[in-house]
Amino acid sequence: MLKRMFSNLLDIWDVLSAEVRRVFTDKTTITIFFLATLVYPALYYYIYSQEVLQSMPVAVVDLSRTEASKRFVHKLDATPELTVAYRCTSLTEAEQLLCDHSVHAIFLLPDDYGTRLANGRTATVTCFSDISSFIYYKNSLLGGSNVMLDEMNTIELKHEAAAGVSGIEAETQITPIECDDIKPYNPGSGYASFFIPALLLMVVHQTLFFGISVLCGDANENRRALRLIPPRLRGRSRYRVTIGRLLCFMLIYIPITLFDLWIVPRMFGLPQLGSVADVILFLLPFVVATTCFAMTFGTLFARERMSTLLCCLFFSVLLFFMSGMVWPQSNMSRFWLVFSYLFPSTPGIEGFVRISSMGAVLADVRSEYLALWVQSGVYFLTACLSLRFIKRYR
Amino acid sequence: MIRVLKRELRRIKVAPRYTVLLTLGVVLAFVFFATVMEEGQPAELPVAVVDMDGSYLSRRICHELDATQGVHVVAVYYNHTSARRAMQRGEIFAFYEIPDGTYNDLLQFRAPHIVLYSNSAYLLAGSLSYRQLATMGKLAAGAVQREVMRKKGLTDDRIMGLIQPVALETHAIGNDKANYQIYLMTTIIPGIIALMAMLHTAYVIGRERQERSVKQWMRKAGNNAVRAFLGKIAPYTFHYTLLLFVAEIIMYGPMHFPMAGSWPLLMFVSVLLIVAAQSAGCFLMGCIPDPTVAMSLTSAYGTLAFSLCGFSFPVDAMPAPMQAFSNVFPLRHYFLAMRDITLFGNGLEQCWPQVCVLVVFCLLLLAGAWMFGRQFERGLAC
Repeated sequence: MLKRMFSNLLDIWDVLSAEVRRVFTDKTTITIFFLATLVYPALYYYIYSQEVLQSMPVAVVDLSRTEASKRFVHKLDATPELTVAYRCTSLTEAEQLLCDHSVHAIFLLPDDYGTRLANGRTATVTCFSDISSFIYYKNSLLGGSNVMLDEMNTIELKHEAAAGVSGIEAETQITPIECDDIKPYNPGSGYASFFIPALLLMVVHQTLFFGISVLCGDANENRRALRLIPPRLRGRSRYRVTIGRLLCFMLIYIPITLFDLWIVPRMFGLPQLGSVADVILFLLPFVVATTCFAMTFGTLFARERMSTLLCCLFFSVLLFFMSGMVWPQSNMSRFWLVFSYLFPSTPGIEGFVRISSMGAVLADVRSEYLALWVQSGVYFLTACLSLRFIKRYR
Repeated sequence: MIRVLKRELRRIKVAPRYTVLLTLGVVLAFVFFATVMEEGQPAELPVAVVDMDGSYLSRRICHELDATQGVHVVAVYYNHTSARRAMQRGEIFAFYEIPDGTYNDLLQFRAPHIVLYSNSAYLLAGSLSYRQLATMGKLAAGAVQREVMRKKGLTDDRIMGLIQPVALETHAIGNDKANYQIYLMTTIIPGIIALMAMLHTAYVIGRERQERSVKQWMRKAGNNAVRAFLGKIAPYTFHYTLLLFVAEIIMYGPMHFPMAGSWPLLMFVSVLLIVAAQSAGCFLMGCIPDPTVAMSLTSAYGTLAFSLCGFSFPVDAMPAPMQAFSNVFPLRHYFLAMRDITLFGNGLEQCWPQVCVLVVFCLLLLAGAWMFGRQFERGLAC
């Protein structure tokens, strides 16, 4: 019994060492595993390092030219989101600037702006915004509505003062209920803090997937698929072979994953609210599931070294949108929800972002955690079965 | 060149696997974005209320929240912790907290505070639910004000002018409903097709090297690398241009995406995008003799295009070196031209710089072929 266990362990060790040798003799795999996981996080962080768009240039068309309209324009200029770059005399002139992309929004104050306010009626400011990027639109909306709210307050206070009401009484009449807003997670609504945690997980997922696929493709292409398996184990020990290979990739990827998902966010000062124990416990099934998924896919479908890169690269974009980071999963149809859960990246991103950016504990990501373990189990079995397919195939 | 073209068509006929798979990939991506984001903006976002007051007012806020378009109250909690946990579990995107004694304070003119928590770790859902809830909060306060003023004997018209002296009307040019699907698909679908065109071109060139059939290929082209390249990539140019045309016709046709400018110009820019992407692939393959390394580099370059084309995060907000770097991606120039044509209705007089840059990209093909030819002469390329 003891002897048999020992020999099993020895088999696993043989597979493991053979696989490690294969990884470290393959230039492409080394590049994908070690270079891409280093360069991508740094590069993407640099791209998004400014987090938000500040002082977006806008044009103002003030047809009213009254004290109130000038105050509105001044306040627009004072918002962090917007800068009044041009003051135009007509809408046509401003439209020309918008079409040239010298500005990304126009604020139009109509000629009756001052009169309407003086008469105590609602005056309307119109904003035309560029929406080629949603951030332009968001900035004009945010800057514009903040100024509008502030102006409402100023004007109402004046009205109250004119009616002989002032001080606290006037304040409570204007805002009978005060509403504070708190953004507990990603308080600055920054793009890097939103995008980078999900992207880091995606980098780990995709590099592991493509690295393993290149190795499997190489084995399939060069008609030496069986070399994956040491000669004396062929035909007998699918589980031992799969465990050996899995251990090899885990050995390489657990340090890489921890570097990318624990150290990199700290280096760049990204939100890190989760505890290290939760992160490690959560990432363990993620690495196992991704490895087994890639081994299954690679053995069955990667016929050549480069074919997976060719056919599956575009999938990175889709996987990101399937994760629910952009489009909430509550708004996806059942079909796409089930489809998205075929890939470890979906529960991986959901869970990891909640742990690291929102300080969730493992119990809060229970369903994602469970999904990752189920994927690990299922893909482990398929990885074992796929070996059988090779043998028959050859 | 015709002989190379015939040879390539034969090769595709023998092994049509990747052409078919990639076409299916485009269909999958198109159907995914077209069906998932059908609503335009995520509707009925789950939100909650923490009702510690249990009064007429807090219940009324709950009802009004539920009636607000775009959000849906999924739960009412009685303490802060359970709402926070629900947010961390991803069950809700925002919640209002109404502290104990809010209604009493309101009746006694003590300006009670209510707190709106929103989750901006999810940028789109967080900011949308924040906006809906914040507007609702203002309206609720307005309703209270209105009641006070009515009791003072003011007319409704006068009250409106007092409660909301200034209103802001926002119009997004070309996409008035701020439809997320339109914004996303018009860039991402051409991006995916261009990425495939580039990788496929790079792959077929690399494949010749791997199969050691470069000599045979070059012989068909009379040992002229430019002719060899042109003949080789032509079938893929045709294939991917056709795919992009079909995608654009569906998007701007039956799906009613905004199209303010001229169709022929958009088609012209689309052809340029495909050829430019292919030329970039040829260039990288021509520069780097090892096909697998070249392919990995092409992949890295291709994925970066989605971030650096500036449709999600504007290029003006990136650091200066990245602003310059964004110019080396054909997708960036396509995006700029497409925006001009479809949203602003501008013609060639506005987007000629982008067209020129894309044409320069197409010339990269010659550079790639020239380098490939030199390697071939030295016997390195086989």
